[in-house]
Amino acid sequence: MATEKKEYWRWHEYNWHDPDIDWRDAEIITAGVDVGSVSSQAVILVDGKIYACANMRTGHSSPESARKVANWALEGTGMRIEDIHYVVGTGYGRVKVPFANRAITEIACHARGAVEIYGNSVRTVLDMGGQDLKVIRCDERGKVLNFLMNEKCAAGTGRGMEVMADLLGVPIGEVGPRSLQVDEEPPPVSNTCVLFAKSEALGLLREGWPTEKVLAAFCRAMTDRVYALLEELGVQRDLAITGGIAKNVGIVKRLERKLGFEALKTEKDPQLAGAWGAALFAKVLYQKERAQKRQAC
Amino acid sequence: MFDKFREWYENRHEYAKDWKEKTGGKVVGYICTYIPEEILYAANVLPVRILGGHEPESIGLAEPYLFGMYCPFCRDCLAQGLQGKYAYLDGIVIGQSCIHIRQTFFSWRQRIPHEFDHYIPMPMNVVTPRASIPFLRKELEIFKSALERWLEKEITDDDLRRGIEIVNKNRRLMKKVYNLRREPNPKLTGLEAMYMVVSSQLTDKNEHSDAIEEMFNNGLATRDLGRESSIRLMTVGSENDDVEFTKMVEETLGATIVIEDHCTGSRYFWEEVKLDEKDPLTAIAERYVTRTPCPQRDWEPERIRFRRILDLIEEFGVQGVLLIQQKFCDPHELDIPALRDLLNEKGIKNYFLEFDVTVPVGQFRIRVEAFLETFASDELFAEDIV
Repeated sequence: MATEKKEYWRWHEYNWHDPDIDWRDAEIITAGVDVGSVSSQAVILVDGKIYACANMRTGHSSPESARKVANWALEGTGMRIEDIHYVVGTGYGRVKVPFANRAITEIACHARGAVEIYGNSVRTVLDMGGQDLKVIRCDERGKVLNFLMNEKCAAGTGRGMEVMADLLGVPIGEVGPRSLQVDEEPPPVSNTCVLFAKSEALGLLREGWPTEKVLAAFCRAMTDRVYALLEELGVQRDLAITGGIAKNVGIVKRLERKLGFEALKTEKDPQLAGAWGAALFAKVLYQKERAQKRQAC
Repeated sequence: MFDKFREWYENRHEYAKDWKEKTGGKVVGYICTYIPEEILYAANVLPVRILGGHEPESIGLAEPYLFGMYCPFCRDCLAQGLQGKYAYLDGIVIGQSCIHIRQTFFSWRQRIPHEFDHYIPMPMNVVTPRASIPFLRKELEIFKSALERWLEKEITDDDLRRGIEIVNKNRRLMKKVYNLRREPNPKLTGLEAMYMVVSSQLTDKNEHSDAIEEMFNNGLATRDLGRESSIRLMTVGSENDDVEFTKMVEETLGATIVIEDHCTGSRYFWEEVKLDEKDPLTAIAERYVTRTPCPQRDWEPERIRFRRILDLIEEFGVQGVLLIQQKFCDPHELDIPALRDLLNEKGIKNYFLEFDVTVPVGQFRIRVEAFLETFASDELFAEDIV
């Protein structure tokens, strides 16, 4: 009997829209589409207010992923992509969003989105994405003042976390909480390479380490790497964490312990920050374009 | 207008082979720009710089001879030689340089057939010129004698003066072209400047100078590239002839590199030999000791290069600096943290990038694009919408 292989790395994909808003009454409809290396998000704003969103895994084709995630966000709303006045593409596939009016880097979009999600006290944004890490310094409007990114390797990123979840057979949503179920923090695994970390974790399992302890060693290594990048740019409070790993308490708690203060908290999905920021930029750009057209008339 | 330089850059080996055939002369390769090309020109020898080929697949050839944590540039250079791409070289010369490049020279000397080689012990701490100039003069004399023995021909003071004039003229002309980059609407791009300077290291400078003069005759000074509103960048760091990266910055992202501090750029040619009434070898020694230094010879009490970088930023109206370091390039790796602090202190935006044999254009694009976005006005935020 064939058994289906369980995909432990699979994180929660979803779409949502606000049934209380009637988009047909709206003056301005804008969207941000963030096609990342691992996940894609779409955020639809109706007069600047969030109306719909979706968050799903990026496929092999950026244009297709962009269309898919936008359509999924619009599912059941009656709105079509063509009804959106202005679309900004962002993320690794930003220039490959076929229906975008403009592309803006995810660095700018995450900063803007973080201020929207966490409030204007944000001065440092840590975006822990699928294949890269970004530390962004911004002003109260979410304008980027300075930033740093990790070098070429994907250690300390979402993809590394997925690899580990699969290896240890722990659903990705449980990695964080279970990594905290240790009496004493173990030494970190190699923090320079996902592949090295993976073989090191295998060795630890063979030595008889419980899964929680291996998870703790891995989360600690990731935290050290993220912390080093934060230190390099210098952390100014308040700190907001965006991207998929913001949902991993095993990393966030350890990071807060090292920093000596807590990052801002939110009920909203921090993974939407890039797309949300892009949709907000889209609104400003559309308003400007409209004003220019009016002046020309 | 700069096509000639691009062609020379792309067909460097064909050029050198043709030159040999045409003139019957000898060609000598060098790896670091600290070699007195004036003496080689005096001897009617063509100096050409050995550069990497930016081909990741070939760099493995250097693996048995150069430690894996030596910079990709020195490994790439050796790999080119091991593949026989420089088989036309009659000799190789080096002026004492960083340990990585030195190792390329030593491996080359051992593994690749050649007639002539010479190691010039360039003084390292050049901030003490009083002692360094007489030291280097003596070493240049030894180099000249070695060349004379090899070529079986005397190199006279008149030959040296001629050699100095050939190289000086080329420097003067390139500086004249560089002055056009200061203008609000630069007359050339960074890529064009790169093609010009690097091809000067690969071709006969007489011919190269003629090509620059021809550009001026063809209206270089009145050219309009429409780049008056583009963001003005400076690049600083290790050897850099990465065409793909420069194209991405200037063509895809629309910024303009208006000046640079690389040995493939301004650092190579900025200072002339001041002959005056001096003995030619002393004048040459003086030029190499006092030229804008490479970080491997620019230490205490004050880094000369830093002051120069700040001056260039002001003179060329630079808005932001890209700090470029070849992976594992120790001299620049040591310099960059201090340089970054200085730039930050002066309020000059900067961003660091680590280069390899080839650069990951997609990853670098995000970084450079986001860096450029920080210069953009508040267009994405303006609350002044009517």
